Amino acid sequence: MSFWEKVANIDRRWIYLLVAIAVFFPMIFIMQFPVELTPEAQQLYNAIDNLPNGSIVMLTFDYYPSTMAETRPMSIAALRHMFSKDMKVVTLSNIPLGGPTIAEDVTRSIAKEYGKEYGIDYVNLGYRANYTAVMHGLASSIESIFNADFTGTPLKDLPLMQKVKNYNDIRFILVVSDNATIDYWISIVNAQYGIPVGGGVTAVSAPKMYAFVEAGQLTGLLGGMKGAAEYEKLVGIKGTATRGMDSQSLVHFLIIFLVIAGNVAFFALRGREKGRVNG
Amino acid sequence: MRTTVPVIVAFLAGIAMVISFFFAPERTILGQFQENLLQWVTIVGGFTLVLGVFSIVRVNARAVSRRNDGWIYKLATVVSVFAMALPSMLPTSSSTTFGKIFYSIVPESWASAFGTNPGSIYDWLFNYLDSPMMETMFATLAFYIASAAYRAFRARSAEATLLLITACIVMLWRVPMGEAFLRLFSDNIPEYINAFVMKGFNMSVQRGIIIGAALGMASMSLRIILGIERTYMGKG
Repeated sequence: MSFWEKVANIDRRWIYLLVAIAVFFPMIFIMQFPVELTPEAQQLYNAIDNLPNGSIVMLTFDYYPSTMAETRPMSIAALRHMFSKDMKVVTLSNIPLGGPTIAEDVTRSIAKEYGKEYGIDYVNLGYRANYTAVMHGLASSIESIFNADFTGTPLKDLPLMQKVKNYNDIRFILVVSDNATIDYWISIVNAQYGIPVGGGVTAVSAPKMYAFVEAGQLTGLLGGMKGAAEYEKLVGIKGTATRGMDSQSLVHFLIIFLVIAGNVAFFALRGREKGRVNG
Repeated sequence: MRTTVPVIVAFLAGIAMVISFFFAPERTILGQFQENLLQWVTIVGGFTLVLGVFSIVRVNARAVSRRNDGWIYKLATVVSVFAMALPSMLPTSSSTTFGKIFYSIVPESWASAFGTNPGSIYDWLFNYLDSPMMETMFATLAFYIASAAYRAFRARSAEATLLLITACIVMLWRVPMGEAFLRLFSDNIPEYINAFVMKGFNMSVQRGIIIGAALGMASMSLRIILGIERTYMGKG
């Protein structure tokens, strides 16, 4: 077997080992390349930062646990930003598995740091089935869709919810999502009810969202772990996304190297094959 | 009868939703009707979840009772469904009628284990079993993607070469180390990638796809409302 044949048919376990090294190496030897800001992340930050202190905002946890590495840091950074401006936060999820529990765990832990009280400064509405109906329903009455919060407490017993009856009482909605729900937040809640919607999505969904950002239907965008790291930088914290950037950087470089190596081997073998046929 | 009634219901509900879109919910009967219809949809959505649970239990329990291949995994599925669902549905206090009956049998000091509150059985199972398992499954994708990129991402044609080069550039742009690398060549490269690749080629194609999909969805909705499309009833 020639050198190029060996390169073309390398055992996939070597690739797995290289990926593992690329992920773990920066955890031991910290590199910390500076995170640069994109205009979309800055736009989202500005949109929230320009709201008056004490505004009521909505934060959605429309993601499954599988994508938490990308989406959870966005939620954490956003909550820190919102609580630092004394905003009242209403959270909900359109994902039955994970979303409401993640919202509960994340919001409670961040709220504790800022001395915020449940029911007064923040409320977790939980989950209701059929997100398009939920999004439409919240426009007329939140209580008609969520008669109780995630833990079963009736909304009438929560002081914050006395002030929040429908979208008219909400200044901004930040949708952190790993699926198509964000499309409906844009097309239903922003387009039909005129509520500003910002987005935090996984890297794989981000390219699609550029069309909505440019159309003004999405006020700012965080794309993947890089987007989360940008928001962390804007808020002034070094969270898991910022720390994860080094691993992601190395893995991206490794994949590019593998693609180039695979193509070089491919062309070397094809050239040899052609030479053999012609010769 | 089995075909006509669903078509009539779909027609009336569809037409009502389309017309009521133009009326304010709080001021008109049609708007109120739309609001009620949306509430029904969430309630029906809740029942579909119950139906899903019933279906998964029935299919897997049958396989377990017949000792089909992999029955042990199906048993794990059934046990997991009940282990996650039951403790979360139990009352967390004796303030309700069900709570009073339940805590006359079970000590009320166990209340913190039930429901979905932090520290409950459901919360523990989610945080320490379900969530890590899902994250692990997703994380393994990085390994498969690296291996697949190495084996399958070949510049076999002009289009594939264009895609390959663009993908590599965007991958570099999306990480801090890559941005620093790109700035070695010119200070403006990251901004150009954002302006020309993401907001240029990418956005124009995405717009085409989004508009195409929306038109497709509108025409499909119209077909359902008019009773032309009946595959949702299991008929062609």
